[in-house]
Amino acid sequence: MIEVRGLVHVYPDGTRAVDGVHLRIGDGEQIAIIGQNGSGKSTLVRHFNGLLRPTLGDVLIDGQLTAGLRVAALAANVGLAFQDPDRQIFAGQVRTEVAFGPHNLGLRSAALETAVTKALDAVGLTEQGERNPYDLGFSNRKLLALASILAMGTPTVVLDEPTTGQDLRGVERVRRIVADLAAAGRTVVAISHDMRFVAEAFPRVVVMRAGRVILDGTPGEVFAEANWGALAGTYVEPQLASRVGVRLGLGSTPTDAALIEALVKRPG
Amino acid sequence: MIALSTAALAFVLRGWLAPILALIVVGATVARAGLGRAFLPFVLATLPLLISIVLIDVFLYPGATDTIMVIGPLRATGTGLTIAGQASLRIVAFALSVAVFALTTPTDDLLADLERRGMGRRATFIIGAAIQTIPRLAARAGEVADSQRARGLNTEGSVWRRVRGVVPLVGPMISGALSEVEERTLALEARAFSAPARRALLRPMPDDAAQRAGRWLLGLATIVLIVATISGHLALP
Repeated sequence: MIEVRGLVHVYPDGTRAVDGVHLRIGDGEQIAIIGQNGSGKSTLVRHFNGLLRPTLGDVLIDGQLTAGLRVAALAANVGLAFQDPDRQIFAGQVRTEVAFGPHNLGLRSAALETAVTKALDAVGLTEQGERNPYDLGFSNRKLLALASILAMGTPTVVLDEPTTGQDLRGVERVRRIVADLAAAGRTVVAISHDMRFVAEAFPRVVVMRAGRVILDGTPGEVFAEANWGALAGTYVEPQLASRVGVRLGLGSTPTDAALIEALVKRPG
Repeated sequence: MIALSTAALAFVLRGWLAPILALIVVGATVARAGLGRAFLPFVLATLPLLISIVLIDVFLYPGATDTIMVIGPLRATGTGLTIAGQASLRIVAFALSVAVFALTTPTDDLLADLERRGMGRRATFIIGAAIQTIPRLAARAGEVADSQRARGLNTEGSVWRRVRGVVPLVGPMISGALSEVEERTLALEARAFSAPARRALLRPMPDDAAQRAGRWLLGLATIVLIVATISGHLALP
């Protein structure tokens, strides 16, 4: 479980990126964090594995304060996939790149090979295992970066904008990865600007604005008409399904499936 | 211009007077521009160098015999002390002159002015790119280090452990910087970088007759002083 208590983070230049966040993320939960650029999402999740340390407040992983723990130790609990894959890819071969994380966590020989193979399977890059990462296109490099976090087998996986630069098939793949992680009982935290992806893949949505959490609930609750003003305040536009549902007086229909179901059940 | 003159003088002239004069000019410029606080790190940065110069010259100056102190096997010499003092002053005057230049001249101003004076835009671009690359690389290095630490790279511990950590840290920096080159080239071309016409420079440059005269005078004085010293007509104490 991840517990954030009164977290404040001020960068050296004085920017108050996170300004008093309380958040509790249970084991096996899948949550999406949304909000305008600069609302503190990335700063918040970088506290989960100790890359950033609180200016004020506490972060606890499984009841243990992160304050005294090193990033290398926290990495065994929380895997964080960054937005830009090119800031992490260094190996000459896809499999070596994926093996880096689990090897650092102490996996060796057969166990390591299995972890790498499973992760590559999950992102659909099995065939590319022997290739040079830089021969892959951007979207595949992004999936490679994701695989290299999955291979670490951490109980919690944090994804920073996993669907950026992905076409429909790529987004579908990320959605399936999140579903697989959920089925395996692992916790997933994702930052995203893709509201459709958020509403379809995550049972819980947290909305941030100016370093604070302003909304926290199911997609049905968060994207309900009553919250549209608050969402607009952090430059979030509800996805089409929600807008159509409200326009037709069907209530909150955050996903395509919910909208279609509401339309079918519509009297008359 | 002041900075360049003092730097050149401090570099070329020997003895006590020249670097002291240069330092006075630097000090006056700093005070005039209100740089006090921003200037401090540069002063501190020269300290390690100064300490090593003083230690080496004072104790190990070759051929000096006028011993003033003996510490164990080491002999401190008067000649060494003098040389160390002069060398330190020159280094400080030179370094701080360059620092004044860096602090008072925005990169954009420098580049616009170079181009206005007829330097080719390719040459200006190279200078600009070199200056801008440093903060960009530093930011990139931070992010690369973060993402590898997030994958359990232990940057603390034994030397061997740290040496092995170098490849994952340096690799993405270099490959990223290289792949950026192509994108930058295309982006520049898309904005007519190699168009043959002369560009209109939109940056206004505050410059009046007094400043221009001052610059000429300084340049002239610098050349005269250097020539006089080298040819032996002027012996500074």
